[in-house]
Amino acid sequence: MNEILGILANDIRRRLKSPVSVILMILIPVTMTLIVGIVFGPSGEVTVPKIKVLLVDNDGGFFSGFLMQGMQQGELADMLDITGVSAAEGEKMMSEGKASALIEIPQGFTANILDGVPVEIRLVKNSSEYFLPLVVEEITKTMAVLLDSGSRIFSGPMTRMRSIIDGESWPSTGDMEDVMNGARNGVILVYGYVADSLITFRDEVASAADTAVVAAGEKEDSGGFNIFAYVMPGSMMIGLLFIAELILRDILRERTGGTLPRMLASPVTTSQVVAGKVGAAFAITMISCLILLAVSRIGFSVDLGDPSALFLHTVATILMCTGVMTFLYGAISSERAADAVMSVVIIVMALFGGSMVPYEQMPSALQAAGRFSPVFWAADGMKRIFLFDAGVSDISVHLAILVALGVCSLIPGTLLIRSRIAKGGW
Amino acid sequence: MTEMIVVKELSRSFGEIRAVRGIGFTVARGEIFGFLGPNGAGKTTTISMLSGLLRPDSGSITIDGMDMASHGRDIRRIMGIIPQEIALYEELSGRDNLLFWGGLYGLAGGELRDSVDRALELVELIDRAKDPVRTYSGGMKRRINLCAGLVHDPKIILLDEPTLGIDPQARIRILDVVKGLADRGKTIIYTTHYLEEAEHICDRIAIIDEGTIYASGTLAELVELVGGKIMVTVSGGFGAGDVRELVGDAEIDHIENGELRVKLLDRDSTGRFLGGLFSTGLHVDGVAIREPSLESVFLQVTGRELRD
Ligand SMILES: Nc1ncnc2c1ncn2[C@@H]1O[C@H](COP(=O)(O)OP(=O)(O)OP(=O)(O)O)[C@@H](O)[C@H]1O
Ligand SMILES: [Mg+2]
Repeated sequence: MNEILGILANDIRRRLKSPVSVILMILIPVTMTLIVGIVFGPSGEVTVPKIKVLLVDNDGGFFSGFLMQGMQQGELADMLDITGVSAAEGEKMMSEGKASALIEIPQGFTANILDGVPVEIRLVKNSSEYFLPLVVEEITKTMAVLLDSGSRIFSGPMTRMRSIIDGESWPSTGDMEDVMNGARNGVILVYGYVADSLITFRDEVASAADTAVVAAGEKEDSGGFNIFAYVMPGSMMIGLLFIAELILRDILRERTGGTLPRMLASPVTTSQVVAGKVGAAFAITMISCLILLAVSRIGFSVDLGDPSALFLHTVATILMCTGVMTFLYGAISSERAADAVMSVVIIVMALFGGSMVPYEQMPSALQAAGRFSPVFWAADGMKRIFLFDAGVSDISVHLAILVALGVCSLIPGTLLIRSRIAKGGW
Repeated sequence: MTEMIVVKELSRSFGEIRAVRGIGFTVARGEIFGFLGPNGAGKTTTISMLSGLLRPDSGSITIDGMDMASHGRDIRRIMGIIPQEIALYEELSGRDNLLFWGGLYGLAGGELRDSVDRALELVELIDRAKDPVRTYSGGMKRRINLCAGLVHDPKIILLDEPTLGIDPQARIRILDVVKGLADRGKTIIYTTHYLEEAEHICDRIAIIDEGTIYASGTLAELVELVGGKIMVTVSGGFGAGDVRELVGDAEIDHIENGELRVKLLDRDSTGRFLGGLFSTGLHVDGVAIREPSLESVFLQVTGRELRD
C-alpha cells in the first residue's frame, strides 16, 4: 500500500512541478463555456433562442388567461413563443415536432380553482428534445405555484370576484375558509411536486410568496437561467477525459523513458506500479474536476446544487473517465497508437454525449446513439444537478451507469496493462 | 571467497536475434566484474536478466544464494541498478528523485533523508540537489542516475555503461565512486565498451561479443592469452602471398589480402620485422603496434577491433 501511495504521490508531485499540460486541458472546457456564454450574452443572462410552446385553452376563463398572460411577460416573453391553438391543431403540430411543448388547460379550470376542485394541467413534451421542454415544464410549474399561492393569498378579492362573476351574495367566513383551503390544493400538476424553477418571479411575488416560491426564488439568486451551467457539464467531460488520458499515457512514456523498468527493478511489484499509476490518474483527474467546479461556481456563478448528489456524481464521473482510459490503454501498446486513437475516441464520445452540440439539439437518431456514450450520462447528470437541483435519487440511474462503466472498464484495463508490463511487451 | 553471483548457461533471444548465447560466470563478494564488449554484444540484455527485468530463455541465475526464478523480489531488494539510459524524472529535483527511488526500497522518514544526503554527497551534487534534473549537465545527470541506484545501500550493484557520453573529468569521478563502493565490500558488475575503464577498475573482465563470453579473467590472465607478445597489424595494397615470407619466425595471427596481423616476442623482433617489410617496397597504408594489453587480447579473441 505504501508503495502504491508513493508512486501515486510522486505522480502528483511531478504534475505540480510541470503543470502546463494539465492546465491546458482544464482550460479547454473553461474556454468552450466562455465562448458559448459570449455568443449567448456576456453576463450569463441568456437570450436563448425562443422556445416554441403551444397552448390549448379549453377553459377560456380568468385563470387560464392569467397563466397565458403570465407566460408572456417580462423575461418569459423573451424566452417563450406562445401560440394559442385548438386541441386538434396542437396534437398535429406536436406529432410533427413543430414545438417544444404543448400545454393544455382543461375545461372548467377557472371555475374548479374557485370551487377548490383539483385541476390538472396537461403538459406534452416533445420527446426528441430534452432541455427546452424541461424549461417549459419548470415555467408551468412555477406559474402553477403562483396561481396556487395567489389564489390563497388573494382569496378575499378572488371570492369577491367570484361573487361578481356568479352574481351571488357575499360568502360567510366559513365559506371563505373553504375556498382558501380548496385553492391551496387546487392545482395539481401532472408532475406531482413543485421543483425549483428556472425562472425567478421573486420580484413580482416577493410580498405574497409562500414557502415553496421563496425556495424557488432563493435558488435563482443569480437571476435567470445560467447558460454556463448548461454548457459546462458537457465541455467539462472533454477536459476530464483528456486529463485522464494524459496521465495514463505516462505509463507508455515511463516505459520508453526508462523510469518504468527502473521501478520494476525495485522490490515493488508490477501490480503495485499499475495500481499507483491508475490511482494517480484518478486523483489528478479528480483534482482537475474540483478546479473546474470551483471555476464554474466562482467564475460562472453556476449553482452547484445538492452537495451529496454533486459529490457522488463527481466520484462516479471520475471513476468512469479513469476506467475508460485505463481500458483503452490496456489495449494500446505504443504512443503512436495512442496518438492515433485516443483523441478520436474522446472526441467521438464527447460529440455523441452532447459535449459539443447540446444533446437537446441533436437529431433524434444521434440522441439515441448518445445514450451509449459514457459522456452523456456524466454530462446529463451534472446538468440536472446544476440546473434542476437534482438530488441523489434523481440521478440514481446516472450514478449506477457511471459506476458500472467505471468498474467494468477499470478492472480489465488494469489487468491488461499489468500483464503487458509483466510480459515485457511494454 | 564467497560467490555472490553465479550465472550458468544463460540465453536470451529476441525473435531471430540471439542476444545472449549460453553465458556463464561467477562474481565474488567485493569484486568488480567487468563486461567488455562492443555495441550489441549483449551487455544490457545480460544486466536486464540479472536485475529480474527480463526472463531468460534458459539458464540460471543465483544471487547471494537465492535463485532468481523463485526469489526475484528478495534479490531485487539487495540489488542496485544503474541503467544505461538515464532514467530519472526530469521535472523533479535531484533530491526528489532520490527520495522517490529510495522510497521504493522501503526507506522512509529520517532514514530515507539521511540515505539521500549520503548518496548526494557521494556524487558531490548536494549543492544542486534542489534544482530540477532538467537543468543538469549531462555529467550531472549521469551522477544522479548513478546514485539513484545506491540510495538503499545495496549489496550488489549492476552498472550498465555508467560513463556513456560524458567528458573525461566526469568519467573519472564516476570511476572513483565505483572503486569506493567496491572498497566498501559491494559486489559490482560493470559493463563498458571502453578498454581503459575495464583495465582501470575491474578486478576481473569478461570479453563479450555476439552474446558469447570469449574470455574472462584478471587483466594479467587475459594478457597472458596473447602470450605477452606485441601485436603488429599492417594494412595496405598487398596480397597475402606477398608478405607471408617476410614474417619469418613471427606468429601469424591473421592474414588476408591487404591485412596482416602478427605476434612478435619483443621490440627488437618487431623492429626487424618492420624493417624487412618496408625494404620490400610493398604498398603499406598503415601499421599499428600494440604492446600486450587488453586491446590486443580483445582483438585476438574476438577477431575484431573494439571501436567506440
Ligand atoms: N527488446 C529488444 N528487442 C529486440 N532486440 C533486442 C532487444 N534488446 C536487445 N536486442 C538485441 O539484442 C542484441 C544485444 O543487445 P544489448 O542491448 O544487450 O547490447 P549491448 O551490449 O548492451 O549494446 P550497447 O553497447 O549498444 O548498449 C542486439 O542485437 C539488440 O538489437
Ligand atoms: Mg547496452
